[in-house]
Amino acid sequence: MHELLQDPAVQGGLVPFGVALLAAVLLRPLRLSGLAVALAFAATAYLHSGFSFEPLNATRKIVLLGLAAPVVAILATLFNAAWVRPLLTAAGGASAIWMAQGILQRQPLDHMFLWGAGVALYVGWMVFWTDKLHDQPVRAGSAGLALGLGTGFAALFGASATLGIYGIALGVAAGTFLLVQMITNRLPCGYTFTLPLSLIAGLVGCQGVLGAELPWYALLPLAAIPPVAHIVPVSEKGALWLQSILLSAATLVCAAGAVFLTWRVAGAPPF
Amino acid sequence: MLKRNALVLLLAALPFAAHASDSYTVDPPHTFAHFTINHLGFSTMHGRFDKSSGKVTLDTAAKTGTVEISIEATSISTGFAKRDDHLKGPDFFNSVEFPSITFKSSKITFKGNAPASVEGELTMLGVTKPVTLTVTEFNCGNNPMSKKYECGAGAVAQIKRSDFGMKAFLPAVGDDIKLEFEIEAIKD
Repeated sequence: MHELLQDPAVQGGLVPFGVALLAAVLLRPLRLSGLAVALAFAATAYLHSGFSFEPLNATRKIVLLGLAAPVVAILATLFNAAWVRPLLTAAGGASAIWMAQGILQRQPLDHMFLWGAGVALYVGWMVFWTDKLHDQPVRAGSAGLALGLGTGFAALFGASATLGIYGIALGVAAGTFLLVQMITNRLPCGYTFTLPLSLIAGLVGCQGVLGAELPWYALLPLAAIPPVAHIVPVSEKGALWLQSILLSAATLVCAAGAVFLTWRVAGAPPF
Repeated sequence: MLKRNALVLLLAALPFAAHASDSYTVDPPHTFAHFTINHLGFSTMHGRFDKSSGKVTLDTAAKTGTVEISIEATSISTGFAKRDDHLKGPDFFNSVEFPSITFKSSKITFKGNAPASVEGELTMLGVTKPVTLTVTEFNCGNNPMSKKYECGAGAVAQIKRSDFGMKAFLPAVGDDIKLEFEIEAIKD
Protein backbone atom coordinates (compact mmCIF):
# COMPACT_ATOMS: atom_id res chain seq x y z
CA MET A 1 0.00 0.00 0.00
CA HIS A 2 2.81 2.37 0.98
CA GLU A 3 4.56 1.67 -2.32
CA LEU A 4 1.34 2.31 -4.23
CA LEU A 5 0.86 5.67 -2.54
CA GLN A 6 4.42 6.64 -3.51
CA ASP A 7 3.57 6.25 -7.19
CA PRO A 8 3.43 9.70 -8.89
CA ALA A 9 0.45 8.60 -10.99
CA VAL A 10 -1.45 7.72 -7.83
CA GLN A 11 -0.41 10.92 -6.05
CA GLY A 12 -1.20 13.21 -8.96
CA GLY A 13 -4.12 11.32 -10.51
CA LEU A 14 -5.94 8.67 -8.53
CA VAL A 15 -5.82 10.29 -5.09
CA PRO A 16 -6.99 13.78 -6.17
CA PHE A 17 -9.73 12.14 -8.25
CA GLY A 18 -10.98 10.10 -5.30
CA VAL A 19 -10.73 12.90 -2.75
CA ALA A 20 -12.37 15.45 -5.07
CA LEU A 21 -15.18 13.03 -5.90
CA LEU A 22 -15.94 12.33 -2.24
CA ALA A 23 -15.64 15.99 -1.25
CA ALA A 24 -17.83 17.25 -4.10
CA VAL A 25 -20.61 14.76 -3.27
CA LEU A 26 -20.41 14.70 0.54
CA LEU A 27 -19.99 18.47 1.03
CA ARG A 28 -22.82 19.37 -1.34
CA PRO A 29 -25.48 19.65 1.44
CA LEU A 30 -23.21 22.19 3.16
CA ARG A 31 -22.72 24.08 -0.14
CA LEU A 32 -18.98 23.48 0.22
CA SER A 33 -18.38 21.23 -2.78
CA GLY A 34 -15.87 23.79 -4.01
CA LEU A 35 -13.50 22.56 -1.32
CA ALA A 36 -12.94 19.49 -3.52
CA VAL A 37 -9.93 21.12 -5.17
CA ALA A 38 -8.26 22.29 -1.95
CA LEU A 39 -8.79 18.93 -0.22
CA ALA A 40 -7.49 17.00 -3.21
CA PHE A 41 -4.41 19.24 -3.36
CA ALA A 42 -3.84 18.78 0.37
CA ALA A 43 -4.00 14.99 -0.01
CA THR A 44 -1.54 15.04 -2.89
CA ALA A 45 0.84 17.39 -1.11
CA TYR A 46 0.73 15.24 2.02
CA LEU A 47 1.49 12.04 0.12
CA HIS A 48 4.17 13.60 -2.05
CA SER A 49 6.07 15.77 0.41
CA GLY A 50 4.43 15.42 3.82
CA PHE A 51 3.32 18.44 5.80
CA SER A 52 6.76 19.53 6.91
CA PHE A 53 7.44 23.25 6.75
CA GLU A 54 11.00 23.57 8.05
CA PRO A 55 12.88 25.15 6.44
CA LEU A 56 10.09 27.11 4.81
CA ASN A 57 11.13 27.17 1.16
CA ALA A 58 9.03 28.37 -1.78
CA THR A 59 7.47 24.98 -2.56
CA ARG A 60 6.48 24.48 1.09
CA LYS A 61 5.00 27.99 1.13
CA ILE A 62 2.79 26.96 -1.80
CA VAL A 63 1.46 24.05 0.28
CA LEU A 64 0.97 26.31 3.31
CA LEU A 65 -0.89 28.91 1.24
CA GLY A 66 -2.90 26.13 -0.41
CA LEU A 67 -4.01 24.96 3.04
CA ALA A 68 -4.85 28.50 4.17
CA ALA A 69 -6.75 29.46 1.01
CA PRO A 70 -9.96 27.52 1.81
CA VAL A 71 -10.21 29.24 5.20
CA VAL A 72 -9.90 32.65 3.54
CA ALA A 73 -12.39 31.52 0.91
CA ILE A 74 -14.96 30.57 3.55
CA LEU A 75 -14.52 33.98 5.20
CA ALA A 76 -14.91 35.65 1.79
CA THR A 77 -18.13 33.68 1.27
CA LEU A 78 -19.48 34.93 4.60
CA PHE A 79 -18.85 38.57 3.66
CA ASN A 80 -19.49 38.28 -0.09
CA ALA A 81 -19.14 42.05 -0.54
CA ALA A 82 -17.96 44.13 -3.49
CA TRP A 83 -14.56 44.65 -1.90
CA VAL A 84 -13.86 40.92 -1.62
CA ARG A 85 -12.51 40.51 -5.17
CA PRO A 86 -10.00 43.40 -5.05
CA LEU A 87 -8.92 42.26 -1.59
CA LEU A 88 -8.38 38.66 -2.71
CA THR A 89 -6.52 39.89 -5.79
CA ALA A 90 -4.17 41.99 -3.66
CA ALA A 91 -3.74 39.14 -1.18
CA GLY A 92 -2.91 36.79 -4.07
CA GLY A 93 -0.22 39.17 -5.31
CA ALA A 94 1.22 39.56 -1.82
CA SER A 95 1.21 35.77 -1.37
CA ALA A 96 3.26 35.40 -4.55
CA ILE A 97 5.89 37.84 -3.29
CA TRP A 98 6.04 36.06 0.07
CA MET A 99 6.37 32.70 -1.68
CA ALA A 100 9.23 33.98 -3.85
CA GLN A 101 10.88 36.07 -1.12
CA GLY A 102 13.83 33.69 -0.57
CA ILE A 103 14.61 33.70 -4.29
CA LEU A 104 14.01 37.40 -4.86
CA GLN A 105 16.35 38.39 -2.02
CA ARG A 106 19.27 36.74 -3.79
CA GLN A 107 18.75 38.67 -7.03
CA PRO A 108 20.20 42.00 -8.14
CA LEU A 109 17.88 44.90 -7.34
CA ASP A 110 16.48 45.28 -10.87
CA HIS A 111 15.74 41.55 -11.15
CA MET A 112 14.23 41.55 -7.68
CA PHE A 113 11.72 44.26 -8.58
CA LEU A 114 11.01 42.88 -12.04
CA TRP A 115 10.47 39.32 -10.86
CA GLY A 116 8.60 40.46 -7.76
CA ALA A 117 6.23 42.56 -9.83
CA GLY A 118 5.87 39.74 -12.34
CA VAL A 119 4.86 37.05 -9.84
CA ALA A 120 2.51 39.44 -8.00
CA LEU A 121 0.87 40.46 -11.28
CA TYR A 122 0.51 36.88 -12.49
CA VAL A 123 -1.04 35.49 -9.31
CA GLY A 124 -3.19 38.60 -8.79
CA TRP A 125 -4.46 38.26 -12.37
CA MET A 126 -5.24 34.57 -11.84
CA VAL A 127 -7.16 35.24 -8.62
CA PHE A 128 -9.07 38.18 -10.13
CA TRP A 129 -10.21 36.42 -13.31
CA THR A 130 -10.92 33.04 -11.73
CA ASP A 131 -12.92 34.78 -9.02
CA LYS A 132 -15.19 36.14 -11.75
CA LEU A 133 -16.23 32.53 -12.38
CA HIS A 134 -17.13 31.75 -8.78
CA ASP A 135 -20.88 31.61 -9.46
CA GLN A 136 -20.53 29.69 -12.76
CA PRO A 137 -19.58 26.10 -11.87
CA VAL A 138 -19.19 24.80 -15.43
CA ARG A 139 -16.97 27.68 -16.55
CA ALA A 140 -14.96 27.52 -13.30
CA GLY A 141 -14.60 23.73 -13.56
CA SER A 142 -13.43 23.93 -17.18
CA ALA A 143 -10.95 26.68 -16.35
CA GLY A 144 -9.68 24.66 -13.38
CA LEU A 145 -9.21 21.56 -15.49
CA ALA A 146 -7.13 23.44 -18.06
CA LEU A 147 -5.28 25.61 -15.55
CA GLY A 148 -4.23 22.62 -13.46
CA LEU A 149 -3.24 20.34 -16.31
CA GLY A 150 -1.54 23.15 -18.24
CA THR A 151 0.43 24.34 -15.23
CA GLY A 152 1.24 20.79 -14.14
CA PHE A 153 2.45 19.44 -17.46
CA ALA A 154 4.37 22.64 -18.22
CA ALA A 155 6.09 22.35 -14.82
CA LEU A 156 6.81 18.69 -15.51
CA PHE A 157 8.48 19.58 -18.81
CA GLY A 158 10.18 22.45 -17.00
CA ALA A 159 12.03 19.90 -14.85
CA SER A 160 10.10 19.75 -11.60
CA ALA A 161 8.17 16.60 -10.77
CA THR A 162 6.90 18.08 -7.49
CA LEU A 163 5.40 21.17 -9.11
CA GLY A 164 4.13 19.00 -11.97
CA ILE A 165 2.28 16.68 -9.61
CA TYR A 166 0.79 19.62 -7.69
CA GLY A 167 -0.50 21.20 -10.89
CA ILE A 168 -1.84 17.98 -12.37
CA ALA A 169 -3.61 17.18 -9.07
CA LEU A 170 -5.41 20.54 -9.33
CA GLY A 171 -6.48 19.76 -12.88
CA VAL A 172 -7.70 16.27 -11.98
CA ALA A 173 -9.64 17.62 -8.99
CA ALA A 174 -11.24 20.41 -11.03
CA GLY A 175 -12.06 17.90 -13.78
CA THR A 176 -13.69 15.62 -11.21
CA PHE A 177 -15.72 18.56 -9.90
CA LEU A 178 -16.79 19.31 -13.47
CA LEU A 179 -17.76 15.67 -14.02
CA VAL A 180 -19.95 15.61 -10.91
CA GLN A 181 -21.46 18.92 -11.99
CA MET A 182 -22.28 17.46 -15.42
CA ILE A 183 -24.02 14.51 -13.80
CA THR A 184 -25.88 16.27 -10.98
CA ASN A 185 -26.14 19.90 -12.20
CA ARG A 186 -26.42 20.90 -8.57
CA LEU A 187 -22.93 21.66 -7.39
CA PRO A 188 -22.29 25.01 -5.77
CA CYS A 189 -18.95 26.52 -6.77
CA GLY A 190 -18.05 29.70 -4.91
CA TYR A 191 -14.84 31.17 -3.59
CA THR A 192 -13.98 27.84 -1.96
CA PHE A 193 -13.40 26.48 -5.46
CA THR A 194 -11.94 29.46 -7.29
CA LEU A 195 -9.57 30.90 -4.67
CA PRO A 196 -7.50 27.77 -3.84
CA LEU A 197 -7.46 26.78 -7.51
CA SER A 198 -6.24 30.12 -8.85
CA LEU A 199 -3.83 30.77 -6.00
CA ILE A 200 -2.12 27.36 -6.08
CA ALA A 201 -1.98 27.21 -9.88
CA GLY A 202 -0.59 30.75 -10.02
CA LEU A 203 2.06 30.05 -7.39
CA VAL A 204 3.10 26.75 -9.00
CA GLY A 205 3.55 28.54 -12.33
CA CYS A 206 5.69 31.26 -10.74
CA GLN A 207 7.85 28.78 -8.84
CA GLY A 208 8.28 26.80 -12.07
CA VAL A 209 9.75 29.92 -13.68
CA LEU A 210 11.87 31.06 -10.73
CA GLY A 211 13.10 27.71 -9.45
CA ALA A 212 12.97 25.40 -12.48
CA GLU A 213 13.15 25.76 -16.26
CA LEU A 214 9.63 26.93 -17.10
CA PRO A 215 10.01 29.85 -19.56
CA TRP A 216 8.21 32.97 -18.31
CA TYR A 217 6.27 33.36 -21.53
CA ALA A 218 4.66 29.95 -21.04
CA LEU A 219 2.67 31.68 -18.29
CA LEU A 220 0.96 33.91 -20.87
CA PRO A 221 -1.31 31.20 -22.35
CA LEU A 222 -1.99 29.96 -18.82
CA ALA A 223 -2.98 33.49 -17.80
CA ALA A 224 -5.44 33.52 -20.71
CA ILE A 225 -7.37 30.49 -19.39
CA PRO A 226 -9.67 32.20 -16.83
CA PRO A 227 -10.59 35.10 -19.18
CA VAL A 228 -11.21 32.63 -22.01
CA ALA A 229 -13.49 30.56 -19.74
CA HIS A 230 -15.28 33.80 -18.87
CA ILE A 231 -15.85 35.15 -22.36
CA VAL A 232 -16.36 32.09 -24.59
CA PRO A 233 -19.97 32.42 -25.78
CA VAL A 234 -21.58 29.18 -24.63
CA SER A 235 -25.29 29.22 -23.94
CA GLU A 236 -26.16 28.26 -20.39
CA LYS A 237 -29.40 26.83 -21.71
CA GLY A 238 -27.52 24.13 -23.62
CA ALA A 239 -26.80 20.65 -22.28
CA LEU A 240 -24.28 20.64 -19.46
CA TRP A 241 -22.05 18.09 -21.15
CA LEU A 242 -21.95 20.23 -24.30
CA GLN A 243 -21.12 23.38 -22.32
CA SER A 244 -18.40 21.48 -20.46
CA ILE A 245 -16.86 20.09 -23.63
CA LEU A 246 -16.87 23.42 -25.46
CA LEU A 247 -15.46 25.37 -22.53
CA SER A 248 -12.87 22.70 -21.72
CA ALA A 249 -11.79 22.53 -25.37
CA ALA A 250 -11.32 26.31 -25.53
CA THR A 251 -9.33 26.49 -22.28
CA LEU A 252 -7.33 23.34 -22.96
CA VAL A 253 -6.05 24.95 -26.17
CA CYS A 254 -4.43 27.61 -23.98
CA ALA A 255 -3.04 24.93 -21.65
CA ALA A 256 -1.62 23.02 -24.61
CA GLY A 257 0.02 26.25 -25.78
CA ALA A 258 1.83 26.62 -22.46
CA VAL A 259 3.00 23.00 -22.52
CA PHE A 260 4.15 23.36 -26.11
CA LEU A 261 6.17 26.51 -25.36
CA THR A 262 7.86 24.78 -22.43
CA TRP A 263 8.56 21.64 -24.43
CA ARG A 264 10.18 23.74 -27.19
CA VAL A 265 12.62 25.19 -24.67
CA ALA A 266 13.15 22.33 -22.27
CA GLY A 267 12.44 19.22 -24.34
CA ALA A 268 11.15 16.03 -22.75
CA PRO A 269 11.32 15.63 -18.96
CA PRO A 270 14.65 14.16 -17.77
CA PHE A 271 13.06 11.51 -15.55
CA MET B 1 80.34 27.82 23.41
CA LEU B 2 77.68 30.55 23.18
CA LYS B 3 77.16 29.79 19.49
CA ARG B 4 76.76 26.09 20.25
CA ASN B 5 74.15 26.75 22.95
CA ALA B 6 72.22 29.03 20.63
CA LEU B 7 72.21 26.32 17.95
CA VAL B 8 70.92 23.74 20.44
CA LEU B 9 68.15 26.14 21.50
CA LEU B 10 67.24 26.83 17.90
CA LEU B 11 67.08 23.12 17.02
CA ALA B 12 64.99 22.44 20.13
CA ALA B 13 62.54 25.17 19.16
CA LEU B 14 62.11 23.97 15.57
CA PRO B 15 59.56 21.23 16.22
CA PHE B 16 57.39 23.69 18.17
CA ALA B 17 57.51 26.15 15.32
CA ALA B 18 56.51 23.41 12.88
CA HIS B 19 53.69 22.27 15.17
CA ALA B 20 52.02 25.67 15.46
CA SER B 21 48.53 25.80 13.95
CA ASP B 22 48.89 26.31 10.20
CA SER B 23 46.25 27.93 8.06
CA TYR B 24 45.46 26.71 4.56
CA THR B 25 43.21 27.95 1.77
CA VAL B 26 41.39 25.38 -0.33
CA ASP B 27 42.64 25.16 -3.93
CA PRO B 28 39.39 25.05 -6.01
CA PRO B 29 40.85 23.43 -9.17
CA HIS B 30 41.99 20.49 -7.04
CA THR B 31 39.04 20.28 -4.68
CA PHE B 32 35.84 18.48 -5.62
CA ALA B 33 32.90 16.89 -3.88
CA HIS B 34 31.70 13.75 -5.65
CA PHE B 35 28.54 11.80 -4.97
CA THR B 36 27.10 8.45 -5.97
CA ILE B 37 23.47 7.43 -5.80
CA ASN B 38 21.48 4.39 -6.82
CA HIS B 39 19.30 4.93 -9.90
CA LEU B 40 16.05 2.94 -9.88
CA GLY B 41 17.90 -0.11 -8.60
CA PHE B 42 19.67 -0.51 -11.92
CA SER B 43 22.97 1.27 -11.52
CA THR B 44 25.01 3.68 -9.45
CA MET B 45 25.15 7.17 -10.89
CA HIS B 46 28.12 9.45 -10.27
CA GLY B 47 28.17 13.22 -10.13
CA ARG B 48 30.21 16.02 -8.69
CA PHE B 49 30.16 19.68 -7.77
CA ASP B 50 32.64 21.65 -9.84
CA LYS B 51 33.05 24.69 -7.58
CA SER B 52 34.01 24.81 -3.95
CA SER B 53 36.03 26.95 -1.57
CA GLY B 54 37.11 26.88 2.04
CA LYS B 55 39.69 27.17 4.79
CA VAL B 56 41.58 24.55 6.79
CA THR B 57 43.68 24.93 9.93
CA LEU B 58 45.88 22.14 11.19
CA ASP B 59 48.04 21.66 14.26
CA THR B 60 49.57 18.20 14.03
CA ALA B 61 51.36 18.58 17.38
CA ALA B 62 48.25 19.46 19.30
CA LYS B 63 46.25 17.14 17.04
CA THR B 64 43.61 19.75 16.39
CA GLY B 65 42.30 21.59 13.40
CA THR B 66 39.27 22.96 11.60
CA VAL B 67 37.75 22.45 8.18
CA GLU B 68 35.24 24.75 6.52
CA ILE B 69 34.13 23.95 3.00
CA SER B 70 31.49 25.68 0.90
CA ILE B 71 30.19 23.98 -2.24
CA GLU B 72 28.24 25.80 -4.94
CA ALA B 73 25.05 23.81 -5.52
CA THR B 74 24.64 25.28 -9.00
CA SER B 75 27.95 23.73 -10.08
CA ILE B 76 26.52 20.19 -10.05
CA SER B 77 27.64 18.10 -13.00
CA THR B 78 26.60 14.58 -13.96
CA GLY B 79 27.62 14.64 -17.60
CA PHE B 80 24.04 15.27 -18.84
CA ALA B 81 22.92 18.92 -18.86
CA LYS B 82 19.20 18.21 -18.69
CA ARG B 83 19.61 16.02 -15.63
CA ASP B 84 21.83 18.71 -14.08
CA ASP B 85 19.02 21.25 -14.57
CA HIS B 86 16.62 18.87 -12.86
CA LEU B 87 19.03 18.28 -9.98
CA LYS B 88 19.44 22.06 -9.53
CA GLY B 89 15.66 22.50 -9.41
CA PRO B 90 13.12 22.36 -6.55
CA ASP B 91 12.92 18.53 -6.60
CA PHE B 92 16.52 18.10 -5.48
CA PHE B 93 19.12 20.76 -4.58
CA ASN B 94 16.83 23.78 -5.07
CA SER B 95 19.93 25.81 -5.88
CA VAL B 96 18.05 29.07 -6.50
CA GLU B 97 16.96 29.18 -2.88
CA PHE B 98 19.89 27.28 -1.36
CA PRO B 99 22.94 28.11 -3.47
CA SER B 100 25.52 26.75 -0.98
CA ILE B 101 26.19 23.42 0.67
CA THR B 102 28.52 23.83 3.62
CA PHE B 103 30.53 21.59 5.92
CA LYS B 104 31.95 22.92 9.18
CA SER B 105 34.05 20.64 11.33
CA SER B 106 33.67 20.34 15.09
CA LYS B 107 36.37 17.76 15.83
CA ILE B 108 39.28 16.15 14.02
CA THR B 109 40.50 12.79 15.25
CA PHE B 110 44.12 11.95 14.50
CA LYS B 111 45.83 8.63 13.97
CA GLY B 112 49.51 9.32 14.40
CA ASN B 113 50.25 12.62 12.76
CA ALA B 114 47.51 12.37 10.16
CA PRO B 115 43.80 13.14 10.52
CA ALA B 116 41.72 9.96 10.50
CA SER B 117 38.22 11.39 10.70
CA VAL B 118 36.51 14.75 10.75
CA GLU B 119 33.27 15.24 12.63
CA GLY B 120 31.17 18.22 11.71
CA GLU B 121 27.89 19.58 10.43
CA LEU B 122 26.70 19.46 6.86
CA THR B 123 24.16 22.10 5.86
CA MET B 124 22.15 21.40 2.74
CA LEU B 125 18.74 22.77 1.72
CA GLY B 126 18.73 24.81 4.92
CA VAL B 127 18.95 21.67 7.08
CA THR B 128 22.00 21.03 9.27
CA LYS B 129 22.93 17.47 10.27
CA PRO B 130 26.00 15.92 11.89
CA VAL B 131 28.25 14.09 9.43
CA THR B 132 31.55 12.28 9.97
CA LEU B 133 34.10 12.24 7.18
CA THR B 134 36.52 9.31 7.16
CA VAL B 135 39.89 10.45 5.87
CA THR B 136 41.22 7.96 3.33
CA GLU B 137 44.49 9.68 2.49
CA PHE B 138 46.49 12.62 3.77
CA ASN B 139 49.73 14.01 2.37
CA CYS B 140 51.63 17.23 2.90
CA GLY B 141 54.68 18.68 1.22
CA ASN B 142 56.00 21.21 -1.24
CA ASN B 143 54.17 21.28 -4.54
CA PRO B 144 56.87 20.57 -7.18
CA MET B 145 55.19 22.94 -9.64
CA SER B 146 54.28 25.94 -7.51
CA LYS B 147 56.92 25.31 -4.82
CA LYS B 148 54.27 26.17 -2.24
CA TYR B 149 53.62 24.03 0.82
CA GLU B 150 50.26 22.31 0.69
CA CYS B 151 48.29 19.41 2.07
CA GLY B 152 45.95 17.10 0.22
CA ALA B 153 43.37 14.67 1.50
CA GLY B 154 40.65 12.29 0.47
CA ALA B 155 37.58 11.72 2.59
CA VAL B 156 34.31 9.82 2.38
CA ALA B 157 30.96 10.05 4.13
CA GLN B 158 27.53 8.52 3.87
CA ILE B 159 24.31 10.51 4.21
CA LYS B 160 20.60 10.02 3.67
CA ARG B 161 19.16 12.70 1.41
CA SER B 162 15.76 12.41 3.08
CA ASP B 163 17.38 13.69 6.30
CA PHE B 164 17.84 16.99 4.47
CA GLY B 165 14.27 17.07 3.13
CA MET B 166 15.26 15.87 -0.35
CA LYS B 167 12.50 13.32 -0.85
CA ALA B 168 11.74 13.46 -4.58
CA PHE B 169 11.52 10.06 -6.29
CA LEU B 170 12.03 8.08 -3.08
CA PRO B 171 12.44 5.14 -2.88
CA ALA B 172 13.00 4.59 -6.61
CA VAL B 173 16.03 6.87 -6.64
CA GLY B 174 18.17 5.87 -3.67
CA ASP B 175 18.08 7.59 -0.31
CA ASP B 176 21.69 6.75 0.58
CA ILE B 177 24.29 9.04 -0.93
CA LYS B 178 27.99 8.33 -0.75
CA LEU B 179 30.04 11.52 -0.66
CA GLU B 180 33.69 11.56 -1.66
CA PHE B 181 35.86 14.62 -1.24
CA GLU B 182 39.25 15.31 -2.77
CA ILE B 183 40.83 18.37 -1.21
CA GLU B 184 44.05 20.27 -1.76
CA ALA B 185 44.76 23.29 0.38
CA ILE B 186 47.69 25.69 0.06
CA LYS B 187 49.40 27.01 3.16
CA ASP B 188 48.71 30.73 3.70
